[in-house]
Amino acid sequence: MSEEEAHANLAVPAFRTEKVAKTQTQNGHGTVWRFGGADKAAKAATVTLRGVIYMLFDNCSKDVKKTILPLGHGDPSVYPCFRTCIEAEDAVVNVLRSGKSNSYCPGAGILPARRAVADYLNRDLPNKLTPDDIFLTAGCNQGIELVFESLARPNANILLPRPGFPHYDARAVYSGLEIRKFDLLPDREWEIDLEGVEAVADENTVAIVVINPNNPCGNVYSHDHLHKVAETARKLGIMVITDEVYDQTIFGDNPFVPMAKFASIVPVLTLGGISKGWVVPGWKIGWIALNDPEGVFESTKVVQSIKQSLDITPDPSTIIQAALPEILEKVDKNFFAKKNKILKHNVDLVCDRLKDIPCVVCPKKPESCTYLLTKLELSLLDDIKDDIDFCVKLAREENLVFLPGEALGLKNWMRITIGVEAHMLEDALERLKGFCTRHTKKTVTETESPSSV
Amino acid sequence: MGETRGGKRWNFGANEVVELSCSQNVRYFLNLLADNLDRSDSRPVIPLGHGDPSPFPSYRTDPSAVEAVCDALRSAQFNHYSTTSGLPIARKAVAEYLSRGLTYQICPNDVHLTAGCHHAIDVLMSTLAVPGANILLPRPSYPMYDSRAAFSQLEIRRYDLLPENGWEVDLDAVEALADEKTAAILVINPCNPCGNVFSRQHLQKIAETASKLGVLVIADEVYKDITFGETPFVSMAEFADIVPVMLLGSISKRWCVPGWRFGWMATLDPHNIMKDSGLVHSLANVLNMSTDPTTFIQGAIPDILEKTKEEFFSSVLETLRECSESCYEEIKKIPCITCPYKPEASMFTMVKLELSVLEDIKDDLEFCCKLAKEESLIILPGRSVGLKNWLRITFAVEPELLKDGLSRLNKFAQRHSKKKQQP
Repeated sequence: MSEEEAHANLAVPAFRTEKVAKTQTQNGHGTVWRFGGADKAAKAATVTLRGVIYMLFDNCSKDVKKTILPLGHGDPSVYPCFRTCIEAEDAVVNVLRSGKSNSYCPGAGILPARRAVADYLNRDLPNKLTPDDIFLTAGCNQGIELVFESLARPNANILLPRPGFPHYDARAVYSGLEIRKFDLLPDREWEIDLEGVEAVADENTVAIVVINPNNPCGNVYSHDHLHKVAETARKLGIMVITDEVYDQTIFGDNPFVPMAKFASIVPVLTLGGISKGWVVPGWKIGWIALNDPEGVFESTKVVQSIKQSLDITPDPSTIIQAALPEILEKVDKNFFAKKNKILKHNVDLVCDRLKDIPCVVCPKKPESCTYLLTKLELSLLDDIKDDIDFCVKLAREENLVFLPGEALGLKNWMRITIGVEAHMLEDALERLKGFCTRHTKKTVTETESPSSV
Repeated sequence: MGETRGGKRWNFGANEVVELSCSQNVRYFLNLLADNLDRSDSRPVIPLGHGDPSPFPSYRTDPSAVEAVCDALRSAQFNHYSTTSGLPIARKAVAEYLSRGLTYQICPNDVHLTAGCHHAIDVLMSTLAVPGANILLPRPSYPMYDSRAAFSQLEIRRYDLLPENGWEVDLDAVEALADEKTAAILVINPCNPCGNVFSRQHLQKIAETASKLGVLVIADEVYKDITFGETPFVSMAEFADIVPVMLLGSISKRWCVPGWRFGWMATLDPHNIMKDSGLVHSLANVLNMSTDPTTFIQGAIPDILEKTKEEFFSSVLETLRECSESCYEEIKKIPCITCPYKPEASMFTMVKLELSVLEDIKDDLEFCCKLAKEESLIILPGRSVGLKNWLRITFAVEPELLKDGLSRLNKFAQRHSKKKQQP
């Protein structure tokens, strides 16, 4: 398929208006209409990426005679090189034709699927999960929604990373959880600022969210660091919510260590799914795993809350649930290796080209996930005041869309999506180079010190 | 705050609102009845309590629908994230499907695709939950609305469906209940659990009443086209000119695929009332953050909606007609149970218990628990849908199984009837 056709499948977000909801309006016949829209959805919506991405697309134009390169948000599943493995497709087709995927399921999910997830996770865990510890969700994002709703209570706050994944922020706002941020430290390979964590936590803090492998930074946390995170959480009396959805999207040297390894220190709630590993976000299935040998989730009634929420929230389709055992058991390891090799190649390609673009720097090559974070050296540029300005002008002049780091809480950084076809990145870096050359500050005279450039 | 063993104090705990809103829904009662089953009874359990005929051969979905989904999957074009509200091709197909028989075309942009009708209810309740708002729900009801409304902290006010009037809406009660904080009235037509279909005249009166009160109509038409009696189905969409309508539906019932999780909500709003009030904007915000139906099912929807053959639908309807007739006739023979209205739609009928003719049974819950224990027969106690001392009977099973079940019901009733006085 053509590039344009591939891009057509990328979800471009719905337009966000600034209009505020009213609670009553009158029609011409004098009827006062009594319904309006809930405010909290509006507040939550302002923290999603979609508005920023849409704004950048809006700045692209047909007058720039180049195809739009959408490298600001990510969905590798639209590109043929990332097509999911045949075993997964076969599993779904088999289930469909068996006629056994048409009925309603229990809220927590069907037993064979829960068992399959427990087996999948148990390969790396000392404390074995049972199917009862696993709950299926309609995608990992829905898992976040469910967990936050289950934890919400008056005055509660939750610790989220910066930079982070904005869906967490949106769902926290929506559930009425106060957000407190801790930093990921760029000069410590994006490790968590544990002192910062202790400083912002208080008796109303319910949880810390750890994303590992990390979106957007692309690092994989070490055993030692995760151990320290667990001990800090225990000291603070909070659970660790760990998002491990990129567990099969790793292409560096650091091995993935599941947070659940430290479940005897602190209760760990793991969010995961097949969306990223198998490149099928549209299949809408994820899971929550409760790693809790001490039974804390049970005694604090968090389990009960989750189970009850599952009864009244949307479910994943029976089709994917029924296919999940085969999907998880029969995956060909070569599939992951092939996918990750492409991503590694893309990372190397981008970093190589960036050597010639001094104002865009990648301080640490990602070794997981599908993004590359760069720092903007704005002092080298003429008329660009910040990352948003950079990205807007880039979109306008080159039809090239990258994400300004501000959207993730990292001002004057920029995120490049690398889960795309390699030739798109070649093209993108060419355009970026041209753009930066055009906007670079000119050296003034020969008497200027060369090191000022 | 939560406490745990070893004296360690943890700062997190349950959300009490979730707990309160989930008490006693249909699943709770089905689990309770299952607990009462006698394991030593060798007879198969007959399930006339829930509403999912898809495991039975007579209700197996059309193979062409299955193949449409397989094709969409194999194309590898539908593995990606969906756009908010659904893929354009699917929204267009649903808009056209819903517009059949209407005098106007529903616009694809007014159609929002959801992971089943349950998800639509979830999104809708979240959207309507302005602080202090209340919503009018029917009694008897479909309890998912009640749970979800409670969870969103919408105040619930109930209006009666009148069994002596063919289960029509008590419009006087509706007017009495509504006030300036009432956001919407829910109308389920064809009706779950009563099995009736509202007449055109009655639907128009509901629309006019809602308009007068300034509330929108939530029209749950998930059983649209599952009618097999005299009354023709008329969609509330026909009255969108009178009152704004939020139309809910899915493929779950007509195609017998509730497990596929594909439904919709359509905002029918020719006078832009929902738009001007900010409701549509709010709905978009909620949808933006919410899950979506599986993308490859969306991809298959145009083929599913347009190409499934009439023979499949008529075959399922024929089975349902046969079952509903059989159910009604058998119930007539059971003295302690009366059916006020012969079911003509959906998969259920509501029947009243005459407790005065029963010996040792004090209410609907005791009736159903003992029935499960003694006859391995599951029927839902009416209290689960808001009507104590009634029963909800599902007739959407294999006809033979239904006959067997009703025969067991008859035996049970006879066994527990008060003995006649000796002359």
